[in-house]
Amino acid sequence: MSKKGRKVRPEGTFAVFIGTGMMAAILLAGLLIPRFGKYDANEISADQILPPSSLHYFGTDMLGRDVFARVFDAVFIDIGTAFIGVLIPLAVGTIIGTLLGISRNRRINSFIGSLIDGINAFPFLIFVIALVAFLGAGLSSIILALSLVNWARYARIARTRAVVVNQQGYVEAARTLGYKPTRILFRHIIPNVSSETRAYALSDFTIVIIAVAALSFLGLGVNPPQAEWGAMIKDGANIITLAWWTAVFPGLAICWTGISVAVFSEGLTKRISEGNQQ
Amino acid sequence: MASSAINTGAPAEEISAEQKVPDKNRIALRRTLLGRLLRSLVVAFWVMFIAFSLLRFSPGDPIRLALGTDATEEAVAAMKIQYGLDQPFFVQFYHYLTGFFQGNLGVSYFSHREVTEVLSTHLPVTLMIILLSMGAAILFAIPIALSVALSRRKFLTYFFRTSTSISLAVPGFFLALLGLLLFGTVVTWVPAAGYEGNFPSNLKYLWLPALVNCFSLVPILSRVLHSSLMDTLGEEFVETGVIRGVGKLKFYWSYLLRPSLAPTVVLMSYMVGIMIGGTVVMETIFSLPGIGRELIDAVSTRDYAIVQGIVMIFGFIVVFTSFFGDLLGYLLDRRVTLS
Repeated sequence: MSKKGRKVRPEGTFAVFIGTGMMAAILLAGLLIPRFGKYDANEISADQILPPSSLHYFGTDMLGRDVFARVFDAVFIDIGTAFIGVLIPLAVGTIIGTLLGISRNRRINSFIGSLIDGINAFPFLIFVIALVAFLGAGLSSIILALSLVNWARYARIARTRAVVVNQQGYVEAARTLGYKPTRILFRHIIPNVSSETRAYALSDFTIVIIAVAALSFLGLGVNPPQAEWGAMIKDGANIITLAWWTAVFPGLAICWTGISVAVFSEGLTKRISEGNQQ
Repeated sequence: MASSAINTGAPAEEISAEQKVPDKNRIALRRTLLGRLLRSLVVAFWVMFIAFSLLRFSPGDPIRLALGTDATEEAVAAMKIQYGLDQPFFVQFYHYLTGFFQGNLGVSYFSHREVTEVLSTHLPVTLMIILLSMGAAILFAIPIALSVALSRRKFLTYFFRTSTSISLAVPGFFLALLGLLLFGTVVTWVPAAGYEGNFPSNLKYLWLPALVNCFSLVPILSRVLHSSLMDTLGEEFVETGVIRGVGKLKFYWSYLLRPSLAPTVVLMSYMVGIMIGGTVVMETIFSLPGIGRELIDAVSTRDYAIVQGIVMIFGFIVVFTSFFGDLLGYLLDRRVTLS
């Protein structure tokens, strides 16, 4: 697509740049503001429900806590939970799906295949809510629930891809050269399968960030004093007509994070698809 | 069928093949349909099994929870026998399975309501919101996708793609709160609380939740519809339609929309699952008496029988809507192959 004679950056580079910048900005704010900010995130004061001002940038909540400090105190809780909640199913799903794709045992294949379909049939959020109900509320059970539900989606993608990769010339070549099966699996097949699952993980990340916040919003997430976006919106929702800022700023933080990932992955997809065209 | 319009510009051998051996096609279709239905049933069985085993593998004893901490051992044992929890896992599952076909999904450990009764009173509200969202979403998505696809301006396409991916990053419950803030206090278009059951009068409670659902649904649908419209626009039969000068309405429907609609319909049936998740959250925010609020209540009290029943029903809904979505996608565009 590049113009005649001139070397042009692949389309989408700008979006990747913007997405990375937005993500870096909020991570940096999450790192610095809790340390060097004016207020402590859990400091209760008599200044209850103050509107945003130069003293409290995002106002204060019902207990007089500074919303600005709390929003940025939650950055690593939210993004970290979502990150681990994507990483574990990505790894587990890719490996199981790949093994299924290259295995020749048809009985196991169709048995686990239909189990995967069964898990995928449940509405994502409903299944996570139900699992959290059985595991008990809290971040670790959210991560466990996300892993138990989402691996199946990755496994389905990985299985389809692994069947194709397994028949490629370079895998055949590695076999002919007499490499060990484990080496072929980890050095030749999985890297090529995971390019597809990693791409899905990126779009999944946005969904999971929202899901983590939604679970806390429903009261299934963190324990009360800890600042977390969904839980803050939940508290703010009760007094939203009185103090819109307690719910709106954490919500904007979720949007910011989600948009940064969405813009990044949009740009990346564009770059890759353009690279394939050339 | 009206498929003659689609086939106008299609390769000649495709038409003749379809006309010559309709029986062969029909048999193949019947076989794939049957296979697809069978697979749906197998998946439905798994759905039931998973939903059922959730309860059995959960840490903690649901009966002890239901009776409270000061319950005697005898009381716990008696209640276990009453609910059949003393029997082995597969015997319990067999009872659950046979009970299901007799319309019995068990009884709540706390309120002693029947699960089927809870479902029949609260599920209609949830389904109403989902249907309303989907209906509105398709009404929004078609003109948006059509106008973007037909304008062919690069800037508009780029703006469209970016805004759709951004709108997916906005959580529905946050948007619902903003909507409530705007339409509940600034202008009072939404009643603050309460609910009336019958169809036309309940719309005033349901339009805002449905609209919020649309905010995430419309971008996905219009994006997929847009890309399949772009594919269709490259086909020769569209040009044929222009040259023949068919009427505007017929052109839009037979030459553009109908050949492009299949992927969107299939996607829409898959989106039902995501819609259900969003609707559960909507119900808690707008305090609507749907099944989602029952689920959240049951989760917080650990009423496992109710949770299990609701989760299973939602799983069934997803399995069978995706089956019918595939079927409908095929009927709209016979070139689609059933997987």
